[in-house]
Parts: sequence; C-alpha cells; structure tokens
Amino acid sequence: MTPYVSVAIYLGVATVASLAFCILPGLLAQPRPNATKEEAYECGVEPTSVVGGRFPVRFYLIAMLFVIFDVEAASFYPWAVQMHALRAFGLGEMVTFVVTLGIGYAFVWKKGGLQWR
Amino acid sequence: MITAAALQHAITAADWEALRPIIWIAGGALAVLLFDLCLPRGAHRISSVLLGVTSLVWAGGFLVRNYHTPYAAFGGAFLSDGFSVVFQGAIVLATLLSLLFVYTFEERISSAGAVALLLWAASGAMLMTGAGNLLILFLGLELLSLALYALCGMASRRAAREAALKYLLLSSMASAVMLYGMVLLFGVTGSVNFSAFLAPPPGNPLYLVALGLFYVGVAFKLGLVPFHIWMPDVFEGAPLPVTAFMSVATKAGMLAVLARIIYVATPAGLANKVLLPIWVVAALSMIIGNLAALSQSNLKRLLAYSGIGQIGYIVAAFAGATALGLRYALFYLLAYLFMTLGAFAVIAALSDQADEGARLVSYAGLAHRRPMLAAAMSFFLIGLAGLPPTVGFMGKLLLLSSVLNAGYISLAVLLIVGTAISIYAYAKIIRVMYAPMRHEVVAGAMSATWPLPWIAIAICSVAVLGLGLYPLVPSAVLPLVK
Repeated sequence: MTPYVSVAIYLGVATVASLAFCILPGLLAQPRPNATKEEAYECGVEPTSVVGGRFPVRFYLIAMLFVIFDVEAASFYPWAVQMHALRAFGLGEMVTFVVTLGIGYAFVWKKGGLQWR
Repeated sequence: MITAAALQHAITAADWEALRPIIWIAGGALAVLLFDLCLPRGAHRISSVLLGVTSLVWAGGFLVRNYHTPYAAFGGAFLSDGFSVVFQGAIVLATLLSLLFVYTFEERISSAGAVALLLWAASGAMLMTGAGNLLILFLGLELLSLALYALCGMASRRAAREAALKYLLLSSMASAVMLYGMVLLFGVTGSVNFSAFLAPPPGNPLYLVALGLFYVGVAFKLGLVPFHIWMPDVFEGAPLPVTAFMSVATKAGMLAVLARIIYVATPAGLANKVLLPIWVVAALSMIIGNLAALSQSNLKRLLAYSGIGQIGYIVAAFAGATALGLRYALFYLLAYLFMTLGAFAVIAALSDQADEGARLVSYAGLAHRRPMLAAAMSFFLIGLAGLPPTVGFMGKLLLLSSVLNAGYISLAVLLIVGTAISIYAYAKIIRVMYAPMRHEVVAGAMSATWPLPWIAIAICSVAVLGLGLYPLVPSAVLPLVK
C-alpha cells in the first residue's frame, strides 16, 4: 500500500486547496462590484452580446470538426520528431491516418456539414 | 523506450494476418463512404449494403483461415485463436444480417453513414473478442460504443433521441467505472495483460475492489440485471438495424471478454469467491429479464428483456469454468443470434418508413393477413422459449447439462424457472397473431415489403431448424491461447 500514500497525500492537498479557494474569498474579500467587473470575461475583448444565449446546433458540429482536425495536427508532431527513426513504418501509419481522415473530410464536405446555413 | 528497430522486428506479416478480418471490415466502411460520394443519389442504399455485405463476407473468409492457426499477434495484445475467431464469426454474421434491415431506415438518413458506423462498431466488437490486454479491450469497447451512440439517434423519432442520450450518459458512466477497475487492476498486478491477473498479490483488498468495478462495467454492457435498465429504452428508440446489431454483436464482444477473464485470467484458487457475483447476476437476469418481458406491448422492448434473460443463460454456462461450458455457451450464442435476428427480420419485413412494425397491436391477426410471416415469427419465438424442434431447445439442453455437470444445481433450477416464465411471454405474441380477428386492423402501415429481410428470415429459419437437428459445436475453441 505504501506507493499509494503519495496519492492519498495528493488527493488530500487537492481537496483542501480547492475547498479553500471556494470558501476563503467569501470570508475575506469585501465585494465592491462595478460594471467592468460584472462583465463576462472573453479574453479581454468587450462582449458584444448576452453570454447565456442559445447557440445553433451547427456551431457544435463545426466545433467538433475543428477539434478532430486540431487533434490530427497535434498527432503529426510526435511522428515528425521521430520520422527518421520510424522510417517506412511510421510513414505508412501516418498515410493511413491521413487517408482515413481525408475520406471523412470529403464525406462531411459533400454532405454539407461545413456549410453555415 | 521502444526503438524503431524493435518496432520493425516486432510486427510481422502474421500479425497483420490475425487482424486482417477487422482491417477488411474497417476498410469496407471507408469504401462505403467513398462510394456514397461518387455514385448518384438513387444508388446510395444499394451500394452501401452491397459493399458492407461484401467486406463482411471477405472478412468471414479470412476468419475461416485464422480458425486453425492460433496466433498471439502484436506481442500478445491481440489473440487470434479458435475462441476469438468463433466470436468474431458470430459478430460478422450478426452484422451481415443487421445490414439486411437497413432498408427500414427513413429516406432522409444517410444510409452510407449508418452502414459505415455499423461496420466500425462491428470491428470494435471483434477487437474486443481478441483482446489480450486491458488497453486493446478498452480500445475495442470505445470504438463499438462511440459508433453506437451515433447510430442510436439516427431515426428522427423522439424516442431515438432519448435512446441516444440515455445510452451515451449511462454507457459512458459504465465505461468510466470499468476503466477505474482496470486502473486498479493495473495498480495491483503491475500489468495490463490478462495473463498477469492469474497471480494477484495475496491479501490485497484492492484486487477485489478492482474486479468488482470491472465486473460492473461488463455486466452493464451485457445488460445483466441489475445493470439492465438502459436496455429496453435504448432498444425501443434505436432504429431497427441498430437494435438488431446491439442485441447480438455488442453482447458477443463483451461475452468474449467475460469468458476470457473467467477462463484465463482468474486464479483457480480464488475462482469460487471472485466469480460468485457473476453467477448471481446471471441468475437474476434469467428471472427478472423474463418476468419483465411478460408485460411488454412493444416487440423491440420485449426482445430487449428476452435478450437480458438469454444472455443470463449464456453467462450461466460459464459456471465452474468448464471447457464444455464454454463450447456450449458459444453454441447457444449462435442459437440466440439466429433466433433473435430472425425475429427482428420479421419485424423488418413488416415495417415501412412511417412505422417500424414493432407494436404488438400491429400483430393482431397477422396469421390471416401474412401467414408466412406469422409462421416464421412463431418459429423463432418457440426457439427463444426453448421448445423443440429448434436450436433453442438443443442449446438449452446443452447449457443445462454443463451447468449441472459443474455442480451449480441452483443455477440450473433458476434456468428452468426462467425458461418456464419466458414461454408465457413468447406465447403471448403467438396468441395475438393467431387469435381470430374481432375487428379490422388498420393494415396500411403493414403493407411494404423489401426482399432483403426475407433473405434474413430464410437464413435464420434454416439455421434455427438445422442447428437444432444437427448441433455443430465448435471444437477448436480450447485450448485458449494464454
């Protein structure tokens, strides 16, 4: 069981810390709200519309497709770094990967999944 | 660190040989998508179904070749042995028959997408059957589940969306529980390989916790009581081909995992203790599944509950981990495949765009309107109830003999009780079909026919009768590759 002691300590610290972050501000801070503070934070840009509004489903479709191709790009990196070591095997794997995704991309495109209607 | 040289030496042609059936099916799914892009609109359905069937038949051919050449591919990560090949064959067969129902899809649904997802789900289930370690098992499970989440919601009915959401939430929860069990198993034994679980460190309580969590995941995916609540709703909501696929292929994949765990990854000294929950859950499924089937008025729901009971019978055959029990369990799995998919084929033959023909009301007086279909349905139901001269009777006889031989008398008694209850549930449908019609039923929704479900009905009837008269029990299942 000894290896798990460190896990238990980590779990304890994480619990205490996150509880502290939730509880302490309420006890210590003095709320002085103003218009700027109440605004939703959008990377520093002033929000243009209500944040809690409804999104079209299409937004999620595009977002999901974006994530897929984002991950695709990310998985190129380890291969690119080890390309010389992996040689033909790595190239074969990568080509299979890209072709599979490519067919999916063509399918989505043809079916109108990328159109913003 | 794995060097490139080690990688190149590790993977040989034999490794790919073992995976070839799966690669063909996954590749077939890609081809389905490609053909859908190139062909004119009118040819979409037929090209998808034809391509799907072709790739499955090819994969079946490779499976036959792999049957007699057991091989531990990729350093034991994927085991291609008689055991997994038979399970994979069952999955291929179930997918093939389910594909024949794709015509019941609504017009607006992309049939290519559905067929491709079905094929990918099948390849995930096949990966599970040969998994030699926890990672491949989880990979296969997720490939199967992710495809099914999308497939469940493919119909535009409200129930379909409900089914998809329910399945997504509950199934991911179960996956998470199972994954946690896997992590603990790894923590306890220091290995992800099933073979390492044979020698757990003695006296470590975490081992039992890990196994418990793992079993919960397995029981959920198999739909065993008390983890069965999702099944009726999902089965009712999902489109017919998907329901048919889920009722057999998904179960076959998970049954293979369970069997491998019981037979090669459970230490003999602990088997009686750690496997007890499995037998209890199987016994509960046989009784509660069949009891709940009694009051169903939707055929898909009824088949879901009956499936819970039937999977319970199969799991019970593993009791005592006898070699004979595994062979008989496989035989009954095949029997269940043909009987259930036959019943689904009759539903498919009766359904059209507007109505899936699963409501019990639409079967009133079917014997007068469509005597052939009513006869076929009765035959499959008699089989599911375990009456002669069907494969259901023979299969149940074998199951009972193996459970009794293993010394699990109480399980055998419960199996008989469950069967007795189930006869009422199935007889109810037969009575509805053959009872004289008191009033004219609106038959408009029941007029469409496509030839493909008839092919499935023919195949299943022949198999249900033929296997019942000449039981072919796969013999090269054991020894399992360890």
